[in-house]
Amino acid sequence: MSDLTYAKIDQTVLDTLRPATQVYWFTVALLAVGMLGGLACWIYQIFIGIGVGGQNNPVAWGTYLINFVFWVGIAHSGTLISAILHLFHAGWRNPIARAAETMTVFAVCTAGLFPFVHLGRAWMVYYMLPYPNQRTLWPNFQSPLMFDVVAISTYLTVSSLFWYTGLLPDLATVRDRSTGLRKKIFTILSMGWTGKMEQWRHYTRGYLFFAALATPLVISVHSVVSWDFALGVVPGWHTTIFAPYFVAGAIHSGLAMVLTLMIPLRKIFSYEKIITLEVLENVAKTIILTGLIVGFAYGTEFFIAWYSQNSIEIAIFKWRALGHYKVGFWIMVVCNTIIPLLLFIKKIRRSIIWLFVISIFINIGMWFERFVIIITSVARDFIPHAWGLYWPTVVEMGIMVGSFSLFFFLFVLFVKHMPSVSMTENKEMLAEGESHGA
Amino acid sequence: MLSLKNKRLVILGIALIAIGFLAFIIQVAGSHPERAWQAYLINFLLWSAIAQGGLLFSVIMHLTKAKWCGPLTNVSEVFAAFFPISFALFLILFLGKAHVFPWQHMDLHGKEVWLNVPFLFFRDGVALLILYGLGFTYLFYALQLKAIGAATGGRLRSFLDQKMGINPDVTRIHQRMSIFSVLYALAFAGVLSLIGYDLVMALDPHWISTLFGAYQFVKAFYVGLGGMIILASALYLTQGDSTGLTTTHFHNLGKLFFAFCLLWADFFYVQLVVIWYGNIPEETAYVIERTMVPPWNFLAWVVFIVAFVLPFFILLNKNVKTKPKFMMVLSAVILVGIWLEHLLLVGPALSHGSRSLPLGLWDGLITLGFLGLMIFAVVYFLDEFPELKRFQPAVEKR
Amino acid sequence: MGPECQVMGLFTDEERAASAVQALEETPWQLKQVHSPIPSHKLSEALNLKKSKVGYFTLVGGIIGFFSGFALAMFTAAKWSLIVGGKPVIALVPFVIVGFEFTILFAVFGNVIGLLIQGGLPDFKGMEIYDPRCSGDHFGVLAACPEIEKGQLINYFKEKGGVTRVFES
Repeated sequence: MSDLTYAKIDQTVLDTLRPATQVYWFTVALLAVGMLGGLACWIYQIFIGIGVGGQNNPVAWGTYLINFVFWVGIAHSGTLISAILHLFHAGWRNPIARAAETMTVFAVCTAGLFPFVHLGRAWMVYYMLPYPNQRTLWPNFQSPLMFDVVAISTYLTVSSLFWYTGLLPDLATVRDRSTGLRKKIFTILSMGWTGKMEQWRHYTRGYLFFAALATPLVISVHSVVSWDFALGVVPGWHTTIFAPYFVAGAIHSGLAMVLTLMIPLRKIFSYEKIITLEVLENVAKTIILTGLIVGFAYGTEFFIAWYSQNSIEIAIFKWRALGHYKVGFWIMVVCNTIIPLLLFIKKIRRSIIWLFVISIFINIGMWFERFVIIITSVARDFIPHAWGLYWPTVVEMGIMVGSFSLFFFLFVLFVKHMPSVSMTENKEMLAEGESHGA
Repeated sequence: MLSLKNKRLVILGIALIAIGFLAFIIQVAGSHPERAWQAYLINFLLWSAIAQGGLLFSVIMHLTKAKWCGPLTNVSEVFAAFFPISFALFLILFLGKAHVFPWQHMDLHGKEVWLNVPFLFFRDGVALLILYGLGFTYLFYALQLKAIGAATGGRLRSFLDQKMGINPDVTRIHQRMSIFSVLYALAFAGVLSLIGYDLVMALDPHWISTLFGAYQFVKAFYVGLGGMIILASALYLTQGDSTGLTTTHFHNLGKLFFAFCLLWADFFYVQLVVIWYGNIPEETAYVIERTMVPPWNFLAWVVFIVAFVLPFFILLNKNVKTKPKFMMVLSAVILVGIWLEHLLLVGPALSHGSRSLPLGLWDGLITLGFLGLMIFAVVYFLDEFPELKRFQPAVEKR
Repeated sequence: MGPECQVMGLFTDEERAASAVQALEETPWQLKQVHSPIPSHKLSEALNLKKSKVGYFTLVGGIIGFFSGFALAMFTAAKWSLIVGGKPVIALVPFVIVGFEFTILFAVFGNVIGLLIQGGLPDFKGMEIYDPRCSGDHFGVLAACPEIEKGQLINYFKEKGGVTRVFES
């Protein structure tokens, strides 16, 4: 960080907003095709019916729920980085906070699609909203599914507002260095921000409250998502550890996605001086922690299942490890808890390639964790004659590819048209570094 | 003055320990020994947690390379002095096995291989030895960076000074500290969970909660921070600025305390909502007995208000966190609240079917004994390592 | 008083900007505003800025949200009074979740409203007397003086180590 100046930070970030290359537009087009493929699958499902998915009796929840939980989980680490680390004054968050918060907003958007898709009759989604109607029907707020509606909408709203507030000073910076149409757009977006100390006075206070409010929100949202499962009585689901276990798992997968996104980003956009190896190393260290928590949860669940001496509890955990879906189970355990242990080794933590590869494995592992939890518990619950199996269909996989395409599409569009690194926060870090004589 | 040279403090400490010991012996010899052992168990768990959680602070500060903590790590490290006492207290717990292990005479449906006195004592003893061993090893290295040089203090100090040497290799010490802080943190989670399952959850052997272990260690850090606030305030009030503690330190410590108050309450609620919602009688019996049935429901509300509602509203205010005297009193009140929470968890199992709260003067007197032990441990340690009372910036890693 | 003009001194160094602001008090010229690309501690100390009142908006929002959340959940439950799974119709335990989320949501709304009102945003008029370098790497100190003293003010800023820009009224 030694030779960074305010001007260099601005220049590095503003350079990313220059007109894009052909490779870029080709990537965007490819992602758009993926999205359209997913949309086509969904339209097919709306016409033919929800049965085109693999869900059946007894496994009524399939990849739509898995992907829902997966994307909400990814969103969480963005808020961890931008909100929680802000409260801890952890300076290493500044270079990645903007991109992480963006990842959050887009991940929640992607996640929010899945309840629609899963509904089948998506046009009836408004039933979930509490408004006076002539049937005098109201949603049942005691249902964890309604908790979800409330929590996810709150999370999307709060994250978007937090993200936008954080963007505001940077939007002014872009405005002041643009011309023509871009200048007009950014003038409106930046709301006339001029960096007056009067404005900063309120801004910093408001931002602090955003961070202080987003922190308990993050913990509550994924707890609520975990309660979609834990509040039922299904064996393997009904367990008190779910809320913190899901939150830790969410942060685990989110941080891995942060690495997956940041590593190519920093190479392509020449952010190496801002998103330094130290920053990535700190993300890696946090991943060690979340991986250990997730491993602790796995171990505890198995131990308590044995301790309970409840034959059904024991049976479901045995089946998870050794039954029909054991491949998914072992992928989950190895990718989430064993592979991150490699990050204890300093050489691996500081190697870009290792970090990228490990992050991909963790993402795969976390997807399979949701698969194992959701599918195995429902496939074999209490009554043996009602047991069944599940496998996703092509339509479901198409929609899943579409969701990944959507997420990356939004993210790729964002990074080329908006400042993907917070110039303001990084300049702040420089100023603080100078005043501490560091 | 927080030192063994302070005669009044020594007399107070001895008096407290004596009162506690006598009260315990009288109760044990009397007609209700189970009450004495109940109080013993509660106190053993609580005071050990304060010590274990207290040291965790220094460990976490080292792992996160935090700079805001300054001399607070000194305050945190003092608590390790209680570890040997805690282990001795654990061994003594064996004497009360007839009263603290109600499952001994129950039909355990296959759990006997896990829940039997010899195995339980063996594994918990080994676990505590590992935890305390790791804690001391971490401390050994941490102290080398702070206590370089002058050998003041008694026999323990001279023994350690010999082991530490005069010109320690700073890089190597930092490396060792990092290794042992990771190990201590892992052991903290594992051992406190194990103790939680064995000594608290098992009292109701047919009840399970997967989060119970984690709930115990989150609670331990919460009370550890409370203990740290009391000690930091005491040091500041007796020694002033020479401790190196400033308003900012108290403010930040208060904020962390607030955060763990919220986390503890969150973990409590998370267990409650899953059990309440599932409405499965195997699980709800435990919760119903403690939160809806007299005499325990009253205690549940007291715990909720004293350990959550009160600190939540008070600690929202910035200024309050910077006043050491007030924070000392508040932390003490909260620790009493968590003492009552232990009673809430443990009481219905050990004093099953009692019509009134099994809480009385004797329990308070026994608690005073444990307080005396903690004071003694802390003050002894401060005497052996007076550098902990003065702030020295830690030797930087080269 | 003759015609007024405003001169902005632009500094690349935070310290110099802060000292210019403080020293300006001893001059007859009036400090209009200070622009900064970062939330600068030094400048806010130099200006003796008071704590912002945005928090009150947040608090009010949070309180409204807390009661609305519980009220909504209780109202909708009481409308049909169905006992599901043996659980009471109006129960505190699950409604805490709805209440909590609404508290956060409305507190954030309050926060945003407070930010907009207190910060005076959007403020497109404020861009008229503004230099785009202030969002980059310069700190702008705007002072007003009578037209005649323009030269003195410019020199003052130059001595403090900044470049200047004049805004005619």
